[in-house]
Amino acid sequence: MTSYASRVKKDIMRWVEDGLITSVVAEQLALDVESRDRKALNFGSILAVLAALLFGAAILIFVAANWEGIPRLARVTMLFALILAAYMSGAWFKLRDHAAIGEACWIVGAAAFGGTIALIGQMYHMSGDEASALIVWMAATGLAAAALRSSMLTVFGVGIAIAWLFVGDFDPFGTHSLPHIFLLFLAAFWMLSYWTRSQPARHVILLTLLSYAVVWALDGDVFETAMVVAVVSVVLLALSLLLPEQTDRFVQLGGYLPLHGLIGFMTGIFVIQMYRFEDGGFVLAAIAALTVIAATLVLGGRESKALRWLAYLGFAIELAIVYLVMVGSMAGTAGFFLVAALILALLAFVIIRIEKRMKPSVQGAV
Amino acid sequence: MPKKTILLSALVVALAQIGFLGWMIMARAAVLRDGREVLLKVEPVDPRDLLRGDYVRLGYEISSIPAHLFRNVDEAGIGPDVDVTVRLSRQSDGFWHATDAWIGQSVAGAATEAVDISGKTTSGFFGSEDNQVVSIDYGLERFYLPEGEGLAIERDMRTRNFGIKAAVAGDGTSQIKALMDGDTLLFEEPFY
Repeated sequence: MTSYASRVKKDIMRWVEDGLITSVVAEQLALDVESRDRKALNFGSILAVLAALLFGAAILIFVAANWEGIPRLARVTMLFALILAAYMSGAWFKLRDHAAIGEACWIVGAAAFGGTIALIGQMYHMSGDEASALIVWMAATGLAAAALRSSMLTVFGVGIAIAWLFVGDFDPFGTHSLPHIFLLFLAAFWMLSYWTRSQPARHVILLTLLSYAVVWALDGDVFETAMVVAVVSVVLLALSLLLPEQTDRFVQLGGYLPLHGLIGFMTGIFVIQMYRFEDGGFVLAAIAALTVIAATLVLGGRESKALRWLAYLGFAIELAIVYLVMVGSMAGTAGFFLVAALILALLAFVIIRIEKRMKPSVQGAV
Repeated sequence: MPKKTILLSALVVALAQIGFLGWMIMARAAVLRDGREVLLKVEPVDPRDLLRGDYVRLGYEISSIPAHLFRNVDEAGIGPDVDVTVRLSRQSDGFWHATDAWIGQSVAGAATEAVDISGKTTSGFFGSEDNQVVSIDYGLERFYLPEGEGLAIERDMRTRNFGIKAAVAGDGTSQIKALMDGDTLLFEEPFY
C-alpha cells in the first residue's frame, strides 16, 4: 500500500520531468508533503498501539495466573507503579513529539488499571462482579482520555464498553433483553471523541451501533427496527452526499460518513428483505436498495473509490438476494449456475462501465 | 496544551486511579477485619461448572433457600436480580443456616446471635408449588486458587464436607475469609 506522500512525490517527479515545475518548487512541495504526512497515523504508530495492547494483555494474564511467587501485596504495588510510570512516560513522550508512543504508553496505563481491578477481585474472591468492574474500568479510562485529550484512550474506552456488553447479561441468542444503557455509553464516548479529537473512536462507535441495532432487530421487532436502521442510514447518506462539508463539520469523520450511511442502509434493507421475502415488501425493498445504490454512485462515486466499491458489493449482494428469492425456487442447479454467470457478467459489465467513466477525474482520489 | 499541563494531568490521572484502587482494597480489607465471622456449608455445584479458569465455583446451602422463609413477599412473588437480606444463625453442627429472609432490608436488626447477609436473587420461585425455592448469589461464589490447584479441591469437595468461613460487615457485605476442609484450614486470606 503506497501512502499519499509517496504517490504525490511520484507525481512531483513526473511534473519536473515534464517541465511543469522547477526542481526548487518540487523540493519545497516534497518537504511540505513529508511534514504533513508525519502527523498521519502511520505504520509505526499502529505497531506501537499493537505493542501496547500485547503488553496490556500480558499484565492481565499475569494477574489471572495468580502466581504465588510474588506476594500479592507486592503485585499490587508493582501494578500501582506501572500505572504511574505509564501515564507519566506517556505525557513525556507526547512532549517530545512522539505522540504515537505516548498514546501507546497511556493504553498500558489503562490496561494496568483494569488488571489491578481483576487482581483485587482475585485477592478478595469477588464473584459475579465482572460487569460492574468493567464499568468502573470504562469510566476510569474515559476520564483519563478526557484529562489527557487522548484519542487512543477514547477508542480503548469504547472497546471496554463493547466488552461489557458481552460479559454482562447480554447474550445474543438468549432471552435476556438488550441492555440499552449501552447506547448511553456510546453517546458519552461520541461526545468525548470531539474533545479528544478521536476520529477512529467515532468510526468504531458507528460500526458498533449498527451491529447492536442488527442484534436488536433480530431480537424482537425485526421489521420496525431494521426499518429505522435503513431510514436513519439513508438520511445520513443523503446529507453526507448532498451537503458534504456541513455534515462533516458536524460529525468530523474525515469525509467517511457516506460509507457508514451506505453500510447501515444496506444492512437494514437486507434484514428487511430476509424477513419479508414472501410479500410485496420484498420488491419495494429491492427497488429502494438499487435506487439508493445507483444514487450513491452518481452523487459520491466520483469522489471516493471506497464508496464506489462498497456500492458494487451492495449491488452484488442485492442481485444475489433477488435471485435467491425470485428465481431460486423455480430453477434447478444448472439454472443456478446459468443465472450466477449472468449475474456476474452483468456485475462486471456495470463495474467496468462505471470505472471507465470515473477514471479521468479520479486519479489520486481515495 | 501547555507543556506542564499534560505532565500534571498525567500525574493527576495516575494518582486518582491508584487512589481509587487503594480505596477498593481498604474497603474489602475492612470487611475482613471488622465483619462478623460465619461458617457456611459448601454444597457441590454442577461438576461441569465447577472449575472455570483458576477459581473453584462454590455453591452453599444458603444459595437456595425455601420461599417460605421470606417474611415480606406479596402475591407478586420474587423476580430475578432483586436485592435480598438473609438472616443466618449458628446451629449445633457449627454451620450457619438461614432462618429468615426479606426482600430489600431486614425489618428489624439482627439479634446478637444472628447475622444479616445481603445477596441478589438469580431466579425467582422455582420447584413444586408447595416447596418453592429462591436462588441467591452473595458474591461469595468463587474461590481463586493458584494455577493448577483447583482440580484436586474440586475432587475432594464431592466426597467430603467443605466449609467457607466468611466475614459479614454491618451492612451485609460479605467476604470469603478461609476455605475449610472439615475442621482443617486449607487457605486463609490475609487482609491485604
